[in-house]
Amino acid sequence: MADEVEQPPSTNTVEEPLDLIRLSLDERIYVKMRNDRELRGRLHAYDQHLNMILGDVEETVTTVEIDEETYEELYKRNIPMLFVRGDGVVLVAPPLRVG
Amino acid sequence: MESERSDSPPSGSAPVAEVFNSIRERSIAENSMVVLLQGLQGEVTTVELRNESSARGRVVNVDAFMNVRLDDVTYKDRQGKSSQLQDMFITGRNIRYVHIPDHVDIMKTIEGHLAKIHRVRNFGSKGGGRKEYAKKAK
Repeated sequence: MADEVEQPPSTNTVEEPLDLIRLSLDERIYVKMRNDRELRGRLHAYDQHLNMILGDVEETVTTVEIDEETYEELYKRNIPMLFVRGDGVVLVAPPLRVG
Repeated sequence: MESERSDSPPSGSAPVAEVFNSIRERSIAENSMVVLLQGLQGEVTTVELRNESSARGRVVNVDAFMNVRLDDVTYKDRQGKSSQLQDMFITGRNIRYVHIPDHVDIMKTIEGHLAKIHRVRNFGSKGGGRKEYAKKAK
């Protein structure tokens, strides 16, 4: 059953920044999002808009309240499988090593 | 202009997935992850919006721009107050997350929906069909 449309060949070389994300497929990654949110999860899929599918995600929302003393509040939750819309993504990186 | 093929009957018990009726939407969708959301039609999911509110309901339709229509929605605003809505339309721009139900197989869903798009594209005779792009010469 021949394809009637030519599929673009998948290359293994890194040619553009999005290819760097391709290297992280199926790996755990760290995603920084707008509105002080961070996601840590396994990257299952992504597209050119940076829409992503993340599995086993932990979302961290950071709220900084400036009272008399500044204090920071972290709100975490876990979601098994999440579709993230690309326009909220600020950066994508391998998970941060603490310490 | 284009014949409305693959239109689903209005809110049946087993919702049939709708494919777009415009070439532009098909091209936009098949090159992005929106096809996964389209494959979720009929599933109950939670959509989290940019304004910190969330809507949980059954996905009726998702278009190429990620605009989502939901049925039987529980809408929780940013204060946490819930309300029931029968029908809801969310602009794609306002979506932050879409929760994917556990039982959904992502690859199958994407491949299934891409197959639907290609079926619509090739509708017609074996050599004909809608000429959405030049076919390889046999």
